[in-house]
Amino acid sequence: MLIEAENLRKVYPDGKVNALNGVNLHIPVGQYVAIMGPSGSGKSTLLSCLGALDLPTDGRVVFQGESLAEIRDLDAFRSAQIGFVFQSFYLLPTLTAVENVQIPMFEGKLSASERAKKAAELLEAVGMDHRARHLPMQLSVGERQRIAIARALANDPALLLMDEPTGNLDSKTTAEILDLFDRLHADRGMTLISVTHSDDVGNRAERMIRFLDGQVVEDTMLR
Amino acid sequence: MHFITFLIKNLMRRKSRSLLTVCGFAVAVGTTVALMGVSESFERAWEASMSGRGIDLIVAEKGAVDQLTMNLDLSIRDRIEAVEGVKIAEPTLVDLLDYVDDEDNLLKTIVQGWEPDGYLFSEIEFVEGRPLKDGDSRKVVLGDTASKNVRKNVGDELLIAGEPFEVVGIYHSYVVFENGAMTVPLQDLQEITAREGKVSAFSVLLEDEMKGKDEELDRIREAINGFENEKGKSLGLDAKRTKEFVQNSLHIQIAHAMAWMTSAIAVVVGSIGVLNTMVMSVVERIREIAILRAIGWKKHRVIRMVMGEAILLSLIGATVGTLGALALVQWLTTLSVTGGFIQGDIAPHVIGKGFALALAVGVLGGAYPAWRAARLLPSEGLRHE
Repeated sequence: MLIEAENLRKVYPDGKVNALNGVNLHIPVGQYVAIMGPSGSGKSTLLSCLGALDLPTDGRVVFQGESLAEIRDLDAFRSAQIGFVFQSFYLLPTLTAVENVQIPMFEGKLSASERAKKAAELLEAVGMDHRARHLPMQLSVGERQRIAIARALANDPALLLMDEPTGNLDSKTTAEILDLFDRLHADRGMTLISVTHSDDVGNRAERMIRFLDGQVVEDTMLR
Repeated sequence: MHFITFLIKNLMRRKSRSLLTVCGFAVAVGTTVALMGVSESFERAWEASMSGRGIDLIVAEKGAVDQLTMNLDLSIRDRIEAVEGVKIAEPTLVDLLDYVDDEDNLLKTIVQGWEPDGYLFSEIEFVEGRPLKDGDSRKVVLGDTASKNVRKNVGDELLIAGEPFEVVGIYHSYVVFENGAMTVPLQDLQEITAREGKVSAFSVLLEDEMKGKDEELDRIREAINGFENEKGKSLGLDAKRTKEFVQNSLHIQIAHAMAWMTSAIAVVVGSIGVLNTMVMSVVERIREIAILRAIGWKKHRVIRMVMGEAILLSLIGATVGTLGALALVQWLTTLSVTGGFIQGDIAPHVIGKGFALALAVGVLGGAYPAWRAARLLPSEGLRHE
């Protein structure tokens, strides 16, 4: 297994919201998973816990056999193992596309020229090499999401976590981005977990997990 | 992309705010560097005026803090010169007097009383006219800066303390302090200040074979300090090494104190400015910092980013401020009221102190926002609206 959630619970500090209510998940290496459900069902909280952005109130997350609770440097873990893609891209506005992709690489050991070279390769992989010197405001929303995906791949993560990655895109651009995810999955054998409202995204995944009130209510292998 | 490029681009996002912070900082550091530079330059010029002539000791009044108020009997000179190893004891009288410039403005300046044909004239180059000579009365020689300031040349008359003096020479000294001064015969200055038979201090030169021998210098100092009158009472003399005398001068100490006080104010003002800018910057970028943490940045990288931006602002401010201070000091040398007392340069160690101050302020101003940014949980930042 690449990542597992064992009896995961999350209660926010005000004590009123039980975002996760005993979630159990086992996701093997290389699987493409879509997590679907209505707003407020706990999907994003699950993603935060899986990505070590937040700690569960109870239960544990196990990554490649090691509990995240026992990892002393979760920042280093996240830097090395996890790539994040967000609905709103969150590119830095004063940096060009190729510079945005280099941001996560500051934590690695690459030199400035090596970072630039790798960023250029990643942009090529997402079909954005021709827009490398453009600022985010000069790019379309679809292009921005491609840059954000290239950025998520900067440190060669084992797991790509995506929170509504096509939420801000039109249907044509959504299809292009989903094609890109398919390619990453097929070519690189990456494990993808995507939280989404979109049936388009859900239908592309190998496995679909439906969420309601912080619990898994359906777990289906699509192919 | 280098990390520094990233920091610069971050600062460029809020150009006006960064520019204003740099400007505020430049004023603070520039003022500090200029004041420290001027006080240090004044001290250096004064010391050079003495040590440059090979003066080994200054004999002054014990306990007196201001040279302008010192009153020693001229008759002590013979006793000092009688001490074994002393070559010359040159008397000087200094006072702050008013003079009238060519536009009938009443201004104040330091006037020196030297013995005509005395040793102190030996290192001065006369660019016009002649030095003071024995028998001169109501004659004055001007430093070239003083001459420009009062717009008087050889042959002109100058009113000093209401008394007419004829300008007989214009000199250039290697000491900027003297170029801004006026020098009259010792006796004339004693008369117009009602200090007959009195001097401010004695500049003592040792015999050549005594130079550089600390034990001999100490012996001579003790001998002079031990002078008594015929009733066996101490004359109250204090013989100091040249450097020690200058450093203990009230004017120098006040100048240093003012410079340091200004520096302290600059630290507080600069820190608050940088703190304000960086706190605003962090608050505005909470979600962005959370994203940086989410995509793999460690806490220390966030701290480096915020601290780096604060230090960068400080150092840019310090560079601008130092350049401004250099220009200001250069400009001050052209003014009549200040030109005679300061040199147009600032010592490298003073500039170094300015940059060290800037660095300290950058660290102080950036520390709290950096800590605040680093303790932000990525999940909280991502939920931040």
